[in-house]
Formats: sequence, structure tokens, C-alpha cells
Amino acid sequence: MKKMILMTLAIFPLTTGLAQEVTPVSASSPAPKVSNSTPAAAADVEALRQQVQSLTETVKALQQQVKDQQAALEKANLTGESGLPQNPEPSPIAAAEGSPAPGASAPPRFPTEDTSVVASATAPAVSGTPVPGGFPTTDTSVVTSAPETISSTGVGASLTQPITIGGGRNYMNISFDGLFALAYSSAKDLDHIEVGDHDPQQRGFNARNIELALDGAVDPYFEGFANIVFKLDNDNQTDVEVEEAFMQTTSLPFNLQLKAGQFFAAFGRLNPTHPHTWDFVDTSLVNGLFLGPDGLRGVGAQTSWTLPLPWYSQLIFASQNGRGSTGFSFRNPGDDGMFFDRITTDREARGLQDFVWIPRWENSVDLSPTQVVLAGVSGAFGSNETGANSRTQIYGVDFLYKWKSSHAEGGFPFVKWQTEFMYRRFEAGRGANESFPVAETFHDWGLYSQVLWGFKKGWVAGIRGDYVDMQDSKFTDDLDRQSRWRISANLTWYPTEFSKIRLQYNQDSLEENFFLSGRQVESVFLQWEFILGSHGAHKF
Amino acid sequence: MKKIPLILSTILACALSAQAKLNVVATLPDFGSLAREIGGDKINLVVLAKATEDPHFVDARPSFVVSLRNADLLIDGGAELELGWLPPLLQNARDPKIEIGKPGRVQASQGIRLMNVPANVTRAAGDVHALGNPHFTVDPIIAKAIAQHIAQSFSALDPANAAFYEANYKKFEATINAKLQEWGAAMSPFKGQHVVAYHDSWPYFAHRFGVNIDIFLEPKPGIPPSPSHLTEVIAQVKAQKVKAIIVEPFHDRRIAEKVASATGAKVVEFSQFPGGLPGTDNYVKLIDTLVSRLAAALK
Repeated sequence: MKKMILMTLAIFPLTTGLAQEVTPVSASSPAPKVSNSTPAAAADVEALRQQVQSLTETVKALQQQVKDQQAALEKANLTGESGLPQNPEPSPIAAAEGSPAPGASAPPRFPTEDTSVVASATAPAVSGTPVPGGFPTTDTSVVTSAPETISSTGVGASLTQPITIGGGRNYMNISFDGLFALAYSSAKDLDHIEVGDHDPQQRGFNARNIELALDGAVDPYFEGFANIVFKLDNDNQTDVEVEEAFMQTTSLPFNLQLKAGQFFAAFGRLNPTHPHTWDFVDTSLVNGLFLGPDGLRGVGAQTSWTLPLPWYSQLIFASQNGRGSTGFSFRNPGDDGMFFDRITTDREARGLQDFVWIPRWENSVDLSPTQVVLAGVSGAFGSNETGANSRTQIYGVDFLYKWKSSHAEGGFPFVKWQTEFMYRRFEAGRGANESFPVAETFHDWGLYSQVLWGFKKGWVAGIRGDYVDMQDSKFTDDLDRQSRWRISANLTWYPTEFSKIRLQYNQDSLEENFFLSGRQVESVFLQWEFILGSHGAHKF
Repeated sequence: MKKIPLILSTILACALSAQAKLNVVATLPDFGSLAREIGGDKINLVVLAKATEDPHFVDARPSFVVSLRNADLLIDGGAELELGWLPPLLQNARDPKIEIGKPGRVQASQGIRLMNVPANVTRAAGDVHALGNPHFTVDPIIAKAIAQHIAQSFSALDPANAAFYEANYKKFEATINAKLQEWGAAMSPFKGQHVVAYHDSWPYFAHRFGVNIDIFLEPKPGIPPSPSHLTEVIAQVKAQKVKAIIVEPFHDRRIAEKVASATGAKVVEFSQFPGGLPGTDNYVKLIDTLVSRLAAALK
């Protein structure tokens, strides 16, 4: 019913406009037909004709009124008299709907237009859709200039426009992040207890992640990203890492995207993220020991495809060199040319089988308006350097659940549960020139599970459990092959989204194996961070 | 087993009928409400943020990527309110139809003169929006301009229904013009009165109706109220005989109540978004509710 009324409303101005031209025609052509019928019908037609004529006159009068108003407004605009909101005459629609004649003692009206806030016509005139007659005049008459668009909300989309920083215009977003920690540990070898390269590495002060991040649109086809990390080693010497530097496409069809350069492999949840986004001071044991202290990253290319399904489903497939310490379980010559006690064969790629191949499939659904679940499976396959034809396979499963209040302020309160499980099959060969006595195949697995509770704006409490099971060996005494677990608890305060202060307690337990004795380690970290520059967007 | 073809054909029918309508995504519920006014049942509408949550911090959920990927048209504020969550969504959605500059992108702030554009941008001043205050839809005159922008974009993308969209716009405009008389009359006794707000979301509303919403519980935008700042606010409220404290659904009402009980002012629940308060499922009802609540508190 509503629709009918709307349609009638829409059609009304059109038909009345047409009536003007139609009148003379209707006098001649339909008349004969009518004359064949009863005289009563003829009288009806006459009455109708009169009605149409009077309507036509009304419409003409209204059109004149509209024109006059338009002219008056244009004049006002030209002479600059419209600085203050004015009381326009009642709109033609209101008049047509039977309000009292304009000019008759109208009460003082509240302004319905305000040129001080509506700067110009809201959009360029739409071509191909002629505005039906009698369209309200007030807005179209204040077109003074082409609308100016300044926006940075569509960084990914406004590709040829400068990206804004702080209201200015710029072609690149720049941000700088400093992440520091004060550490205490009952262990002297904190650099061994903590398995990540950006984790605290010594008792006392640590500056392991000082990061310069750049991004922006390259041109209408690509966007570029770079993360340059500076870190101070335990002797306060500065190391520089090109953590990521890659370009990716923005306008491929079929929801495809290509990415190429140096980048983190999309393996699980934690690996592709930068340390300052982590919920804990340190990386998880399984990430550090299977994917490496710096995470699995390298020079390579990646393609991703969001499947045309009703829910979020994405396939990602990457290939990287997998060489060096950032290809930890793969073509990694190891420290001093040794890995898992073998003298490594540091060789050039022989073929495609020597690259690391990294597929991932992730899916997400909303359980309710406040609950989201994301689950993924990942793999990383390639060769390693411990033998002539030794290979590594890593499989991962990850799961994320997040609840956020429907009345969240600043994103709080929320509860986030994240778990990753990994299994690694590592063929440890006999090393270069078959120098190691045996070849072994290690079946290692590990997981972490963490719950974060944002209980108040700016405040997050977290707890995490870690476990890694390294297959015991009577031949390999490598320190990294010790099974172990860890419990962590922390409390973080974010004064704003650009700074944080975090206190964390870790209880580590390294289990006894054939070569190594078991031990317990306790550590406490105080971490702080600042971010300068462009507003980092929060990925889910 | 026999039901499977039936289910499949239903899904197919749904998919086909869905294709006929414009797929519209609005980042925030106010834009969604205006889109519904114009689009009626000729559009499929998805609104990303909830009416009751803080629009500055919305999770960039993967399901939003799916909505954006299928969108023919996206309405966003264009004034950095969604800066923390829209860019990664657009990056993942890879939908060329809703890029800035395309007919499928409506940036509501286009053609709107934003208030409180900071001369210098520094985060020492809190979460200041560099382009100006982005909470502009609560001014009905601005809402009309946005509605017209939306109507023009709908018409451009769906010319077959252009007359329908234009008629809906005209209807909306006439309603707002008439309602403005009502709202203006209801607020006119309180011209120049001071009002406290939790966050600086109301300069446009204040400007329209002649009240001064210029005392804030937050010491700086986005910074939680501190005891010392609240002491200052209480002194100000007493000195200026302020009668109303505005809080939004996601704000901590207890803080406002503390100030209220110390001063005798009333806490008024406000929302920028249709649906944020009971009985406000469209824009006009929202402004109706805001005006009547504030007028009642200021009496």
C-alpha cells in the first residue's frame, strides 16, 4: 500500500507536466469515441477537461513561482546575501498539498536550509536521469563550485589520490613504532629461553623492535608496503631488518590479489603479524621453534582469492625462497653452518621443489552480532639443508573466537580466544658429505592457546599456555630440540591506541631429554610502546 | 532428498531476486537509515556498525569483507570517523565499484562544511579528527543533503527506479522541512543554554538548535574522564546552572551520574544513530526523541 502511494507521488508531477501538451490532442482524438456513448459520459469528459485545464493553470502558476524563487536565490547567491540562513518560501510540494496560500500571515519559520553547513550541491548532477518537473529548487540553486573531496578513509581505494596524514595531503602513510622491554629472568640465558628475535634477549633493558612503516598507493594498480625494523643487540649494536617490503595489486578481477616482494607468510594467525600488534611480550614457543625466531618470511610471491561464497572464505598460496634464518625449518644454513647438529649444505635452488610452498585456507562466520569465529588451515612445504634430499613439512590449524559487547566503547569490553596448533615433519639428513652418523625423521608438534579479556576501556588481561613436543633423539643434542611448556599471564594498559604499557609473567619449564636436564625458569617483563604517525588500521 | 531441488531453486530464486536490487552497504546506522528512506524496498541494505557501539572502534570483521565485495554502492562518512576499520576492509574487499570517485561510492561529508577543523593536528590534543568533526548527520539540514546525494547516486546506478528514489527524497525533504518547524519550536526556549556531553559528538546538533553543548566529561576527545577533570566539570556545571548531561549508549553512564548527583543536572541518553535508543528505528524518530528528551531535561 505504501508503495502505491509512493509511486503515485512519483508519477504525479510527471503526469501533470504532460497534461499541458496533451490537452489539445485530447480534444480531438478521443472525442469521437466518447460521442458514440451516452451523453452523460460526454458531460463527464467535459468536466474532466475543465479539471485538467484548471490543474494545468495551477501547475503553470507553481512553475512560475519556482522560477521566481530560483531567480531570487541565484541573485542572493551572486550578491552574497545568503551568508545567514534564510527562511525560504514554502516548497512547491507543500503548496500543492493544500497549505494556505503563500504570503498569507505565515508564522515565523525555522530555517530548513543552511548554506553555512551544506557547502555545495552534494554530488555532480546525475546524467541520464532528468529530474521530474517541480523538483525542490533550494539545493540545486546553491551549486557554487565542484564538490571537493578530501578523504583518507579509503586508503585502499582512492588509489590515485594523495593519502592524507593529519589533514594534510601526502602520497604515503608514515608511522614509527618503538617497542621496549625491561626484563628480569631467573635464567641467565634469556636469549635461549625466549625463542623470538623481537622478544627480550637479556636481563635489563631491551630495544628489539623499532619499526618504520610506510605504505601507500603506488598507482591505480598497486599499493606498496614496507616495514623496516631496527633492533639493538645485547651489546647495543644496531641491526637493521627489511622485515617486509612488497607491492600488491588492487584491481584484479574475480576477487584475486597478487603480492610480491619480501613478506611474512600467511601461516596461521601470529606469523603474519608485527610484534607491536601482539597480545603478549613474546612470540609463542611453537611459532618461534617451528617457523623461526623471525617468523616465516622471505622474498617471494603470493596470490589470494576470496571465494564467491556467502561467508568469508579465502584461499592464499605463496612461494618463497625459504632461505636463511627467516626460512628457519627450510633452507636454513643455521648458525655457524650447523642445524640440528648437522653441517648444512648451503646450496642454490635446484628446482621448484627447493622453494617453500605455503597454502592457506581461512573461513569466518558471525555467530551472532557480537560473536565472530575465524578458522584456518595452513601448510608450508620445502626442502631443508641437513641432507641431499631432506624435506620439511609443517601443517597448522588455527582458531579465533571473539566476543565484543554491542555497547562497546573504544572497542571494549571484549573477549578473544586464539589457538594455533602445528605439526612439523622434519627429515634430518646426514649433513654435508654424509658427515653425520644417522638420518632421522622428527615428528614434532606444538600449540598455544590464549585468552584476552578487555575488561574496561584501555585495559586488557591475558593468559596463555604454550607447549612444544620435540621428538627425543639419541643422536641430536640441539638446545632447540628440548620439549617444553610455558604459562604466561599479563596485564596491558592502553592509555590510547597509540601507546601501551604491559606487565607480563612467564613460567617456563624445559623437560629433560637424552642430553639435556630439565629446568624451571621464571621471567617478568615490563613492556612499553609508542606509535607516531598515521593511524594504523586494525585488521581483524 | 526430494527437498533438495526445492531448496536449491529457492536459493537460486533468492539469488536472482537479490540481483535485481541494488546492494547497498552503509558504514554507520545513520547513513543506513537515510539509504532506507530513499531506497525503500528497492535496495538490499547492510549496515556495518551497530547503533549502540562506538563508531570510532568497530571490528573489521571478515563478514564485512563479503558484504563490501558484493556491494554496488558504499556510503561512508568520508571524514575519518571510520579510519580505524574501513581501510583494511576495503583493501580485502577488492571491489572496484565502490572506489572513491566511482558512482558506487557516496561519501556523506561531500559538500558538507565540517565544523571544528583543527588548525594544528597533534595527538597531544587527544583523538582529534584532522578533517573536522565527523558527527554531522544529527543536523537535519545536513541529513537532507546526504539523502539527496544518496538519491542521486541510487538513480545513477539504477535509472529504472530513479523516479522512485527522487520521490522518496522529496518526501523526506518535505518531512524534514515540516519537522524542523516542530523541533525548532520545541528547542527555542532553551537558546544559549549550556549542556554537558560525554564526547564532542554534538556540535552540529547544538548549532542547529541553538544550545551550547560545550562541556565534556572527557578531558580530551577519546581520553577517559579523570577525577580531576570531573571536579572541574562539576564546578562548571554548578556555575553555569547546566541542567542536562548527554551520554551515548556506549559511554559509562555511571560517570555522568556521578556528576549529575553532585550538581542536580539530569543524565539524558542520546544517540547519534537511529536504533541507538528505543523507538528510534528511523532518522526522523531519532531527532524527535533527541529533541523531546533534551527539551524535557532543560525545562
